[in-house]
Amino acid sequence: MSNPYIKINNLHKSFGNLDVLKGISTTIDKGEVIAIIGPSGSGKSTFLRCLNLLETPTSGQVWIGSDELTAKGTDIMKVRQNVGMVFQHFHLFPHKTVLENVTYAPITVKGVEKNVAEKQAINLLKSVGLSDKANQYPNRLSGGQKQRVAIARALAMAPDVMLFDEPTSALDPEMVKEVLDVMKSLAHTGMTMAIVTHEMGFAKEVADRVLFLDGGVLVEDVPPEEFFLNPSSQRARDFLDKVL
Amino acid sequence: MDLDFLRIVPSIPFILNGIWVTLLFVLVSAILGFLIGTILSLFKIGNIRGLKWFADAYTSIFRGTPLILQLMLIYFATPQLIGYDIPAFLAGILAFGLNSGAYISEIIRAGIQAVDKGQREAAEALAIPYKPMMKDIILPQAMKNILPALLNEFITLTKESAIVATIGFMDIMRRAQVVSANTYTAFEPLIFAGLIYYILVMGLTLLGRAVERRLRRSE
Ligand SMILES: Nc1ncnc2c1ncn2[C@@H]1O[C@H](COP(=O)(O)OP(=O)(O)OP(=O)(O)O)[C@@H](O)[C@H]1O
Ligand SMILES: [Mg+2]
Repeated sequence: MSNPYIKINNLHKSFGNLDVLKGISTTIDKGEVIAIIGPSGSGKSTFLRCLNLLETPTSGQVWIGSDELTAKGTDIMKVRQNVGMVFQHFHLFPHKTVLENVTYAPITVKGVEKNVAEKQAINLLKSVGLSDKANQYPNRLSGGQKQRVAIARALAMAPDVMLFDEPTSALDPEMVKEVLDVMKSLAHTGMTMAIVTHEMGFAKEVADRVLFLDGGVLVEDVPPEEFFLNPSSQRARDFLDKVL
Repeated sequence: MDLDFLRIVPSIPFILNGIWVTLLFVLVSAILGFLIGTILSLFKIGNIRGLKWFADAYTSIFRGTPLILQLMLIYFATPQLIGYDIPAFLAGILAFGLNSGAYISEIIRAGIQAVDKGQREAAEALAIPYKPMMKDIILPQAMKNILPALLNEFITLTKESAIVATIGFMDIMRRAQVVSANTYTAFEPLIFAGLIYYILVMGLTLLGRAVERRLRRSE
């Protein structure tokens, strides 16, 4: 096998004396799409947030490319420039227009010139089907539109990895598809993606691999066909019985 | 009852001139208080232990002792300690600025902490450094919470500013006292001064409401 792009080795995270991640080890190849599934409180968000250092791992190692995130003196900002994140509740900047939401980070962090950043942003907004909303404020958008802007905003930093934490969980049902479609086409561009999701159909269709977390333990780490048709653990079977 | 406002008519311009004195005093105090409050609030929300401790101690002391005592200390202790004969205006500005800095730091801290935590996370996930994050993302949103409370503080300052009369500063209050002494009238000048304060405060209150309405409309 080729040299994996992301390597996670015995990752632990605790909050006080609550052990949330109890030694997770896996690898993710460049261009792979990973679905992270598991019951509430199993540590899915925490796991994801360790990959862009919104949470600091308690122990273990995480590499992205040649950078070890868990090394002493890692440049957190440099890591985050390379790892985009999309949140359940969008977190768009409400006082900035859609266009400003998308251009703010490239201009501020990377020093991209304003007109260059705006051109890029318009292209990104086109790719998520929202170029006509460039001058609107976020509160004028539907949930699905907000989330697509949030995806464009993250992509504007040209990251190599994209993290999604339940990107469709806060949406009305009729808006789930438009967001999943954007993610699907992003996956087709070869983006490396880690997606916490409850959309089993989407996971089945788009993911290259499913990570099933339960109680902070990585219980299954298999291709979706295997996970959905023939899970090896009782815990995964119980979980699937409940959600399918 | 022997109220005769005619007696103070010649002195009315003298008292009215105090409006500018009072307003200038309040404005300068408020600006100083805002500067101090901003710095202290940054200390409070930052994660440098010593600065946090300092800001908390500062706030506690200035909120925990009478303003008039702080004023007296600055006015009378400065000449005694460093031999500088501090003018009433400067002593008043210092006392009010330092004091309202403590209150304003709490207003700003609370306003910042009321901004959705997700905003900060989104900014952090985009690798936006602390300074631009505060300046461009957090503070503009915090202003909506902060501005109405700041105007309230300004109104409080306007009323409380009357205590600088005790160190001889010629504000509205002091002028009323002077007129009272010169004309041997006890009530009329004070009632007139009270009317001026009330109109000032009402004006600022209306202004505050207008600002609040505008902020709400831009939601
Ligand atoms: N900052 C924190 N401080 C303390 N405990 C936390 C913190 N963040 C998460 N936890 C706890 O860690 C555990 C795992 O949380 P996490 O959010 O990772 O779960 P999850 O799998 O994403 O759940 P959900 O499906 O509900 O989003 C939970 O018990 C949660 O209460
Ligand atoms: Mg979660």
